[in-house]
Amino acid sequence: MNKFILKRALASLVSLLFLVVAVFFLSRLTGDPTDLYLPVDASLASREQFRKIHGLDQPLMVQFFNYVRDLAVLDFGESIRRARPALDVVLEAFKWTLQLALITLFLVTLAAIIFGSLAAFRVGGMFDRFATFFSLIGASAPDFWLAIVAIVVFSVGLGWVPTSGTGTMMHWILPVTILFIRPFGLILQVVRSSMITALSAAYIKTARAKGAKAKSIIFIHALRNALLPIITVIGDQAAGMLNGAVIVETIFGFPGVGKLMIDSILQRDFSVVLASIMVTAFVIFLMNILIDLLYAVLDPRIRY
Amino acid sequence: MKKFKSLLLLSAFSMAAISGGSAFAADTDITIVLSEELDLIEPCMASQSNIGRVVLQNISETLAVLNPENGELKPRLALSWQDMGNGKWRYKLRDGVKFSDGTTFDAKDVKHSLDRTLSEDIACELKARYFGGMELKADIVDDLTIDFTAVPAQPILPLLISALTIVPEETPIKFTREPIGTGPYVLSAWNVGQNIILDRRDDYWGAKPEVSKATYLFRSDAAVRAAMVQTGEADIVPQISEELATNAKTDFAYPNSETTYLRLDHFIEPLGDIRVRKALNMAVDREAFLGTLVPKEAIIATHMVPPSTLGWLKDLKPLAFDVKAAKALVDEARADGVNVDEEIILIGRTANFPHATEINEALTQMFNDVGLNVKLQMREVGEWIDFYSKPFAEDRGPRMVTAQHDNSRGDPVFSMVWKYSCDGGQSGLCDKELDGLISKASAAAGDERAALWGPVFKRVHEDLVADIFLFHMVGFTRVSERLNYTPSISTNSELPLEEISFK
Amino acid sequence: MSVSENISTIETPKKGKIKTFFSLLWSDQFAFFAAVFLILVLTSVIFGPMLLDYDAGRQNLRGRNAAPFDFTRGWMWFLGGDQLGRPLLARVLVAAQNTIFVAGGAVMISMTIGSVLGVIAGNSRGRLGQFIPRIADVIMSFPSLLLAVIVLYMLEPSVSNIIIVLAITRIPVYLRTARAEILEIRERMFIQAAIVMGASKFRIIFRHMMPMLLPTLLTVATLDFAFVMLAESSLSFLGIGIQPPDITWGLMVSQGRPYLTTAWWLSFWPGLAIIFTTLSLNLISNWIRIALDPQQRWRLEIESKKND
Repeated sequence: MNKFILKRALASLVSLLFLVVAVFFLSRLTGDPTDLYLPVDASLASREQFRKIHGLDQPLMVQFFNYVRDLAVLDFGESIRRARPALDVVLEAFKWTLQLALITLFLVTLAAIIFGSLAAFRVGGMFDRFATFFSLIGASAPDFWLAIVAIVVFSVGLGWVPTSGTGTMMHWILPVTILFIRPFGLILQVVRSSMITALSAAYIKTARAKGAKAKSIIFIHALRNALLPIITVIGDQAAGMLNGAVIVETIFGFPGVGKLMIDSILQRDFSVVLASIMVTAFVIFLMNILIDLLYAVLDPRIRY
Repeated sequence: MKKFKSLLLLSAFSMAAISGGSAFAADTDITIVLSEELDLIEPCMASQSNIGRVVLQNISETLAVLNPENGELKPRLALSWQDMGNGKWRYKLRDGVKFSDGTTFDAKDVKHSLDRTLSEDIACELKARYFGGMELKADIVDDLTIDFTAVPAQPILPLLISALTIVPEETPIKFTREPIGTGPYVLSAWNVGQNIILDRRDDYWGAKPEVSKATYLFRSDAAVRAAMVQTGEADIVPQISEELATNAKTDFAYPNSETTYLRLDHFIEPLGDIRVRKALNMAVDREAFLGTLVPKEAIIATHMVPPSTLGWLKDLKPLAFDVKAAKALVDEARADGVNVDEEIILIGRTANFPHATEINEALTQMFNDVGLNVKLQMREVGEWIDFYSKPFAEDRGPRMVTAQHDNSRGDPVFSMVWKYSCDGGQSGLCDKELDGLISKASAAAGDERAALWGPVFKRVHEDLVADIFLFHMVGFTRVSERLNYTPSISTNSELPLEEISFK
Repeated sequence: MSVSENISTIETPKKGKIKTFFSLLWSDQFAFFAAVFLILVLTSVIFGPMLLDYDAGRQNLRGRNAAPFDFTRGWMWFLGGDQLGRPLLARVLVAAQNTIFVAGGAVMISMTIGSVLGVIAGNSRGRLGQFIPRIADVIMSFPSLLLAVIVLYMLEPSVSNIIIVLAITRIPVYLRTARAEILEIRERMFIQAAIVMGASKFRIIFRHMMPMLLPTLLTVATLDFAFVMLAESSLSFLGIGIQPPDITWGLMVSQGRPYLTTAWWLSFWPGLAIIFTTLSLNLISNWIRIALDPQQRWRLEIESKKND
């Protein structure tokens, strides 16, 4: 097992490096930030000065070499926009994203497993139909639409919760709810479908036939068998959330990493783009290693 | 001390958490919601509108303030100034002014502020915007007198200097996160991603403003911003969209000094032909836009600069909307061998101004209706700017670029040189006569200057039909009913808290 | 003798194949209506732009945001008009083509590439089994927006390039799902038995593993359809996706956003089209899964007997 972890960690490190190289060069294909930062009527001299200050006047390979050299001592460079270390900017935002993602994921997982299993128990029953119907509507409704309607109804109309921002517990209710809806529908569907398969396995059928007493045992057994694809999907959703919930962050004024990344991409603030990718990638890689370990724990037959 | 402060903050925070908001705030505290978070709170970047709204005249002051409605300069940190000839101007400074860190304001601070802004080591936007293309230096005469000298001489030097934000001489030459100024407010907290808080100073040199504390929040969605005034979470929202501005008691329109236009590329057929340019102008039903995609308060434009600008000609008229006449012009050009069937690309920028995409779609149809072949491409800002600014691609086809230009400084020089001279960075034409007119007007001063800009506007609009001017735009601000505050043309670049009072 | 061969002997059809198909479909009414709706969508995909292009594009600034359910102006205005005074019904029908091309194209491409890679990775205990999942890691951590900016900056923003962007970003989902399933399936008794009996690798994958893998992939794919439509919407909103004059449902939704409180119908109808399409696809895929799964099929057959 230890050997596996070590191998995986090394492989992930290589992927991370590959990612850095790819993003470094690819992002620079999208143009020079100078024109975006200076007013359109800035003189040629100020343009050159700007490029010099930010090292953009040097050949790409030199820029890359400098970047890697600084990276070796964990210096992620400076944000052009904010004139402060890129890593600080990213960690500040990532803190919010991480909280939002963890809270939402916890609730989604819990709710989806409970409702999905219940739906799978009686396929085609009333509960199943309802759960499927509403979760699918949730999964395919545009989230900004839901978010604005929620603000209009619950903040402006009823005055129950603040419209946006981060001050108090109440501020978290709307963003978490909106962020919850889509993954809930998706994970519920996967839970349902893998539970159906698991429940129709022969040994479960026999157990089921033996009587209702065994129901909870059946549930645990079936769930255990169904868990692999469920974990995979949760992992995918988690990765998405760790990359930031752009719409929710934008509408609710939530200072997370998603909006930061978009702004930095559109503003060609390369160090921030790179730093945020490295931070999120690090966490995602870590999560993927954990997921692979979890596979092996849940299903002892799986060997790597 | 710091520990104590954070403890205090923490208890304040938890109290706010229990009470669910601003119940403990004083009646004279206000909340302002901006559309995007500030990247910097740097005085020498105050020409960026979101930074300017927080910094200008609140934290940092300038030597003089422009009244954009009549173009006059009002003294602020300076008492008076006079032209000494040969590009030299002498400023008398106000006595008894203190920075928020307790140091005294004098000529050394002014000199340092200029040197810092012009420094090679930081890329200050003030420099790029106002002090390019000249040698500018400051010489201290005595503690309260300073000379500015520009080479070549600048007839509008006081106007340029009025943009300079004053910082103490101790300010290091790198972007600061703790700006110190002479203004009536001091930056007391910046919780990145959440808010910025300004507190009123007790030792301000001027009259004490009514607002005791201002909290700035950031929300990029206009609907959410507007809703925050309704729920009582905010008092002033500088930019809401026209659709949302439905309540006459709280929502105010104001001219925002922006002008929308289509830049035509005269170097490429068929846009090089004046008949085609005329036809394009006549194809646009400007009236139909007003009250639909463009607010009805907007003004149909004939200039690159808003009406309050020096030398503005009120008798210039837009080419009337006339599909038939436009078609005839296109046919005439075709008969003369101009390739009017060539596909012309109209390049728009997404989210450039409210309804940018729809306006461009509507324009495209109008152009096609007069028999031209126009295709729309909407691009994000980083790509769009490659089309808008020189150098233009060598092998380009005919192109029109939709753009919005802001001139709130009252003088046409900030617009005409870059948009219309042969060397101008966004100029789509090169006309020797126009170049001569522009440089003559730029070099003049006073009434003569006003008179000399007239022919420039006329040449651009009537003789050359250079571009397609659309509208002088308006913005909408939502103000809580408990405040007395009316937005003006300068609201786009600054939001002085001292102008706000309570009902 | 494998499980699936067992089945094919059991299900010798008594009725004609087509008749069986319809009776099985009718026995799940939800699925039946879903099928009808999807046929409608497909019809507008094929004929929409051909027949309605002019009406969907013709603007009228002075008649913008016309309210829906106004019977005086003819059927085309039944759903109201948009922000440029174009009939929404015509636009929703015309936009179906690009929308389905983008979503279908992206899902199809990413599912094919993703599951092939996932199956290979799951079956390989060597280098490939280590290497391929890392590709997924890299793509997952590469922000899709940056990818979109890069691709669309270098190529033109067009329907096919949007498909490329979206397809690449969705590959990891299928790759990881397929791999996870295969990892579990390959340890099952009947696969081990097949290996011992000397079945070829190819045969094991296609005869034994794929039938077990497909239902899950199909579930993910149908859900992904909605995801891709909405992702395309946010790309347009950020200014890097499909832009007018091209239209998709996603673009219509994002363009209607400023009018949410004043003219809800602008984003409501295309949003509804997205929701109904996803819902229908899902109901149909559930139905297909049950109809194809020998252990589930009885549910439908009981229903269809009731109907007989």
